Amino acid sequence: MALSGRMDAESAPQFDEQCNICIAEGLEVLVADLGELTYVSSMGLRSFVAAAKALREKGGELRLCRLRGLVKQVFEITGLIRSFSVYESPDAAVLGGQ
Amino acid sequence: MAGDSHSLHLEAKTACLGRAVDFVRRGAEEASLPPERAGELELVIEELFVNICHHAYPESHPGAVAVSYCIPSPGELNLELADQGVEFNPLQSADPDINVELQLRPIGGLGIFLVKRLAKSLAYSREDGWNRLRFGISSGS
Repeated sequence: MALSGRMDAESAPQFDEQCNICIAEGLEVLVADLGELTYVSSMGLRSFVAAAKALREKGGELRLCRLRGLVKQVFEITGLIRSFSVYESPDAAVLGGQ
Repeated sequence: MAGDSHSLHLEAKTACLGRAVDFVRRGAEEASLPPERAGELELVIEELFVNICHHAYPESHPGAVAVSYCIPSPGELNLELADQGVEFNPLQSADPDINVELQLRPIGGLGIFLVKRLAKSLAYSREDGWNRLRFGISSGS
């Protein structure tokens, strides 16, 4: 899924809902393309962590790609960049591996 | 705040967050902060404002939040967020362990940590029933 704009208290619930639908449908690996995401707050981070944990409990994974600017900075400060598999492109994320 | 300060009083409701952010964006423009610093400022304000909305006042009786800024010199912006809610010093909150593996991480708890890492010269005081948190953002941060 491609995210754009802001991931904050207002928009994070939409991401939660989309992830919940995908997980309920049995998808195990989700790729989030953050290339057009310009802002993420702690409420947005909550959603990424919650989705990743839910997927891991089912043996799956939330993969991220194209982290930029403030979004990348926030993932680095919080150490979350080491908790996720992060890729340069959506294609690389779909293929997986490091 | 000392100097030529600008203040905005709002209700402690998340619906007012946009006005608080717009207000400090003007401050960032007036101080000629670069876009990356303005983005960090926006994040710090959101984290602090939402924290006040959720924890300072009883849910049924939201009180006031005062957002103030002044520009001591070009490229520097000093800010203050103040509320009359329960006494709370966010600087005393324990930092999360950011090295723990994902499955052991709590889902939340990163907001104040981000504030501590992005804002400069954070200082808290409790004055006449007000929580006052002061900090700075500068172009060279």
